[in-house]
Amino acid sequence: MNAPDRYERFVVPEGTKKVSYERDTKIINAASFTIEREDHTIGNILRMQLHRDENVLFAGYKLPHPLQYKIIVRVHTTSQSSPMQAYNQAINDLDKELDHLRNAFETEMAKHSRDY
Amino acid sequence: MEAGASYQRFPKVKVRELKDDYLKFELRDTDASVANALRRVMIAEVPTIAIDLVEIEVNSSVLNDEFIAHRLGLIPLTSERAMSMRFSRDCDACDGDGQCEFCSVEFHLRAKCMTDQTLDVTSKDLISSDHTVVPVDFSDALGGDDSSEQKGITIVKLRRGQELRLRAIARKGIGKDHAKWSPAATVTFMYEPEIHINEDLMETLSLEQRQSWVESSPTKVFEMDPNTEQVVVIDPEAYTYDDEVIKKAEAMGKPGLVEIYAKEDSFIFTVESTGAIKSSQLVVNAIEVLKQKLDAVRLSEDTVEADDQFGELGAHMRGG
Repeated sequence: MNAPDRYERFVVPEGTKKVSYERDTKIINAASFTIEREDHTIGNILRMQLHRDENVLFAGYKLPHPLQYKIIVRVHTTSQSSPMQAYNQAINDLDKELDHLRNAFETEMAKHSRDY
Repeated sequence: MEAGASYQRFPKVKVRELKDDYLKFELRDTDASVANALRRVMIAEVPTIAIDLVEIEVNSSVLNDEFIAHRLGLIPLTSERAMSMRFSRDCDACDGDGQCEFCSVEFHLRAKCMTDQTLDVTSKDLISSDHTVVPVDFSDALGGDDSSEQKGITIVKLRRGQELRLRAIARKGIGKDHAKWSPAATVTFMYEPEIHINEDLMETLSLEQRQSWVESSPTKVFEMDPNTEQVVVIDPEAYTYDDEVIKKAEAMGKPGLVEIYAKEDSFIFTVESTGAIKSSQLVVNAIEVLKQKLDAVRLSEDTVEADDQFGELGAHMRGG
């Protein structure tokens, strides 16, 4: 009877930010991004994409608790870049990769349905 | 600000087998994180339509109301429309209790058994208010034996005099909310294996040894050619990464007889749909949903601005 609503797992509550950014207080070019209502799906692709960036010294994500529906992505970069720049770049690259993937898949499907 | 370097990849796709509810394809030149994100999105985040609210008018069947409501929810409904529909929680054309074409579809079911013959109430008895959203029809998919005409999914059986009358509202939802909204029966991917047999070592084995080595694999990966007596790989993808053939080779005193690698940028996907959406559409929708999710995690303007101010302040404090 007192179960929380199921949609709490994926609907960002009003007044809460989807992504918040916090700089590390001791290390320059290090920061963590707290992403509300996301999980391994986003966390892991972001992390792996950040690893492809040679200016990224460290990138990791964690799901602090299975009942806290948020992930924390931590990024540490060289002075050539910044966590924010690396983060934006990772998202842009993934977005373009998925665009390419969709086009590739659709051409392949068109080719396949022609063969029938 | 935008650095020149791009770390984008250009994945390749090859479809191997395509049916309405089944798809097998190869995905290359990307990594496991993307493959797994796609799999997870297909299972839990591609929207479909399923019955969510049930108002029972009469139920004199042997099953209780909530049992029937639960069963109704699990019936797959054709959901081509789902991507363009609204979630009832953020539909402003209605207060989310149905009656609104943007976020819901109404169903009616009336059945009464008047004979001594047991009456099967099935998904075919559900009358939809929208012809694009109906219970899936498996009749042509199963085909094959025509022993009995397809009658849809059984909901309850009625005896003489028993009656079921209800109104149901179907809504858009995702598998993360409740599994009834998941369009995927199964989605799996495997790494493509690369199998190398050390021919020189294989030469040192006797015929019986080769035969017993071939048979040590639980799945039919290798075969011995009866004419040439050579061991050949007939189906690398049957390999389940069980290491049995490697252990067998070691036990025979021939370590390195076979080397097997998982190609870390090549995946073989199998997608099975519940019928709510076509398997090919499921993949396209998953890519679209993943793109939307990525877009949602972009930094907002005010976050960037707030940090710019912080940056100046920090520079003051550090450098004076």
